[in-house]
Amino acid sequence: MKFLEIMNSPLLFILVELGILYVLLFCGVTLFRSYRHGVEIGLTKQQLKTAITSSVIYSIVPSISIVVGLVSLSTAIGIPWAQFRLSVVGAVTYELMAAEMAATGAGYESMAELAASAEGASLAGTVMFVMSIGILAGCIALLLFGPRIIEGVSGLRSKHGEWGALMTGVLSMAIIEAFLPMQLVKGPVFIAVVATSIGVTLLQVLLVKVTGWKWWNNFIMAVTLLVGMGSSLLWLQLLG
Amino acid sequence: MDKKYEKSLHIVGRLGLLIGISFMLGIPAITCASFDVWPASVGEVLTVGGSLLLVFLPTALAEVVSYTPVLGSSAYITFLTGNVLNLKLPCVINSHSLTGTTQGTDEGDTIASISVAASTITTTVIIIIGVLLLVPLEPILTSPVVSTAAGYLLPSLFGGMVLSFANENCGEYIAKGKNLVMILPIILVFIVNAIYPLSGKEGFAVLGCMVVNVLVAWVLYKKGIIKMIPKEKASKEEKAE
Repeated sequence: MKFLEIMNSPLLFILVELGILYVLLFCGVTLFRSYRHGVEIGLTKQQLKTAITSSVIYSIVPSISIVVGLVSLSTAIGIPWAQFRLSVVGAVTYELMAAEMAATGAGYESMAELAASAEGASLAGTVMFVMSIGILAGCIALLLFGPRIIEGVSGLRSKHGEWGALMTGVLSMAIIEAFLPMQLVKGPVFIAVVATSIGVTLLQVLLVKVTGWKWWNNFIMAVTLLVGMGSSLLWLQLLG
Repeated sequence: MDKKYEKSLHIVGRLGLLIGISFMLGIPAITCASFDVWPASVGEVLTVGGSLLLVFLPTALAEVVSYTPVLGSSAYITFLTGNVLNLKLPCVINSHSLTGTTQGTDEGDTIASISVAASTITTTVIIIIGVLLLVPLEPILTSPVVSTAAGYLLPSLFGGMVLSFANENCGEYIAKGKNLVMILPIILVFIVNAIYPLSGKEGFAVLGCMVVNVLVAWVLYKKGIIKMIPKEKASKEEKAE
């Protein structure tokens, strides 16, 4: 049996779909419990609905780019394992790199070479274990330290009054501070795409203010992503 | 937050994560047993995965420490389902911004969990559709136009998120001047990256920026440059004007 025959076997499909079913179940339970708790603590139905609809609409575009990654990943490690890796813990960037690093770690030039080789099949288990173990550190760290970090943040907030509110309020800004400059240094096309996205967001915020179409707030991120990514094609022609 | 509810969040979150880990290791184990393709030894797994672990272990740990304060209890479901940076964090930040809530509060934590769960269900369903339609969709998804555009997801995302971050919302307060906090860390990231490239080490950069943010916010708050105004007072002032 060849590597890809194992990786595309009906058994693996069934196991993976069970795993996906579990993820959907866990999400459903979380959504139900959180919604109920939200109502109990006084969040309005409108706030809860906004959180759901804006998240659903925003998630569509990045999910399509994950499906693009699924196409390339499935040729290397088969469809079911690629689907599982992209639905549980993984990210497109990590999984492609992890598969390649597992193959080179086993002494092959690439995942394609490992998949094509006669001995590749015997490494199917190793590749799957390595890809799982490589990304487990985050989950284990969260199991061990998650409650302390989460309770620490809410504790800081409640103990220190307005300074506590400010301190915890500035933490999330670190994400844009660390990642935005890293995109800007990649070159003029990246800068132009960032500028386009900022411009498109501003225009939509203005649209909501002028027209009073509050429902459009749910679409701002999704439209920005689409226009930003699409604009890269133009900027590549002009600046690339 | 109600202590009993808080405790139940951690129990359910950790249990959910443990079951997820069982799937991650159980699926390879059952496949190995069925096709008799067990790794030759633990040593083989470590040899093959050594470089991977070296690269991803510190990053994964840094990401947990950096992102959990922003995600709150939704961190459990987020780290189980992955795609943290490109999907879950933007959803949470966007929802906080749209609902006027903030992390560190019961309301913000609840909104984060709802956002992550809704986002994950959407992504999982789209991936299932992608798998079902993989053959007919492949020519479109692998076309140069789609592949090129998909490569610019992150700059589009961070450009779009600038406004979500540049607000003065701080839970029950309006923090006038809060956005000034961002200037120094952004400059520092540019400088550090020029000397020591941070690509692939963004988790550590986030952690560093968090520390700088708190220090800068402290100085600006003590100097009276950042002013914390309770939301009720701010809305009364707005109405009076």
